Amino acid sequence: MSQSPRHYSMYDKPMWDSIQEGAMKLQRCPESGVFRYPPGPACPASLSLDYEWVPVSGKGKIISWTVFHRQYLPAYPAPHLVVAVQLEEGPIMVSYMDAGHAGRIALDMSVTMEYATHPDGYKIPKFRLS
Amino acid sequence: MQDKSDTIDKGTSNISGIVGVGHTDWVQDYKRVRNGEKPFDSYGYATLAFNRALLDAGISRDEVDGLIVGPTTAYERMGEILNIDPRWGGQADAVQAVFQAVMAIKSGFAEVVALVYGNDQRSAAIQYGGPEAMGGGSFLSYVYHSPWGLTSQGALYALMFQRYKSMWGLTDRDLGEVSVGQRQWAALNPNAIMRKPLTLDDYLAANYIAEPLRLNDYCLINDGGVALIIMEASRAKRCKQKPVMIRGLGRSDLNHHATSLGPRLMDFYRPAQMNTAEQVYQAAGVGPEDIDALLVYDSFSPHIFFALEGFGFCEEGGAAKFIADKGIGVGGQMPVNTSGGHLSESYMQGWNHQIEAVRQLRGGLGDRQVSDCRHVQYVSDVAGKAMSIIYGN
Repeated sequence: MSQSPRHYSMYDKPMWDSIQEGAMKLQRCPESGVFRYPPGPACPASLSLDYEWVPVSGKGKIISWTVFHRQYLPAYPAPHLVVAVQLEEGPIMVSYMDAGHAGRIALDMSVTMEYATHPDGYKIPKFRLS
Repeated sequence: MQDKSDTIDKGTSNISGIVGVGHTDWVQDYKRVRNGEKPFDSYGYATLAFNRALLDAGISRDEVDGLIVGPTTAYERMGEILNIDPRWGGQADAVQAVFQAVMAIKSGFAEVVALVYGNDQRSAAIQYGGPEAMGGGSFLSYVYHSPWGLTSQGALYALMFQRYKSMWGLTDRDLGEVSVGQRQWAALNPNAIMRKPLTLDDYLAANYIAEPLRLNDYCLINDGGVALIIMEASRAKRCKQKPVMIRGLGRSDLNHHATSLGPRLMDFYRPAQMNTAEQVYQAAGVGPEDIDALLVYDSFSPHIFFALEGFGFCEEGGAAKFIADKGIGVGGQMPVNTSGGHLSESYMQGWNHQIEAVRQLRGGLGDRQVSDCRHVQYVSDVAGKAMSIIYGN
């Protein structure tokens, strides 16, 4: 059993479990069809407490990015490229890309999710240019 | 659509004013802490500021019947140390503390409210980044993304400004104008920690931290305290100090998609700022063209761009041109953060901006004085809570 990042609610565990299996899932509201992120108890559109875990396509586009020029965490030496990606399903997700992309990315570029192993031992979704 | 003239216009305008301000010795304490000393803890800084605010107001502690403490000190312990048993109390950040004081006065729960803030953030090495930042989880957006390496509030503003910069074709120099302008004000302010002149070349020579933000786009981290005395208007008129009146308040929050950064990245908080602008200007009976000095919560320099646009000082995407054409520093047509703000004066989490509003409206600041200063506006957008106060004399 690999380690897991901190869970901020009981709804984080199924998401991280799906990531460990290499197929990230998010909750979708059966009533409104709206995907939500981060995971949580209710749909922000319908307030329905029902949900189903649905795999995401892994496709998205770049909303913004920042390059860390200082190392803050042992896992991520500088330079470290953090990206905000809007998933095809709607939610915006913060993730990262290999720092070599830094000079080449622009708003709205298409990206694809892949999985890396965090030094703490768990899988984590990251992105590459499509 | 509700009729705002009944619900907002007359509600809290001109019913209270600031009659006393006090703060600690930011410059001296910054040097002492860097030398390894610890002058006070948060409660000590708050108490020193409170003593000075009482003196400034010319009132005694016994007159205080309301107490609001900042987020960094426990309410009960702060009240115990100040030995105040009020008939109304609370805990809040700077802008919410002013709102709460006005509401308490409006409702008759208190007439003389002391607002006290102390923070030993530098000597105590408080972490504003990392997975446990700010206690972890009270603002989920500050901590949720740390598995991917997004660790700090500065990085959230870096993401925000990178998108804005790409959308409107700005350069690093455009952003640098904020730090340079605020440092011009700080150079004239004996209370400012960073007074050495900063040129655009100096700004550009500093390294990126979270690109596109450089060292001087970040606020200081320093120890200190601030206290304000807010008094019911008719009583304030009999006070030693001519009160600086609270002319109008406005607030609008964006909580939707806060953790996944939607309102921040897609809208730059503009819808909330526009709502707040409508409220605060209507309440005060003025518009952006009447504002003589604009004080913006500036944990990071991009705040100034979003405030100028969100509150109607310029059009959407026009802040860089506005700053270049009008000027926000000394000699500029729209003075912004005339104390140097969080970037150059002191990082008192919005509390020092309230003191600066009072000082500009009292007048007599010499080279730093905004001429014919009649209205000062404070604006903050911390974590999607767009709030504003208009002060007048």
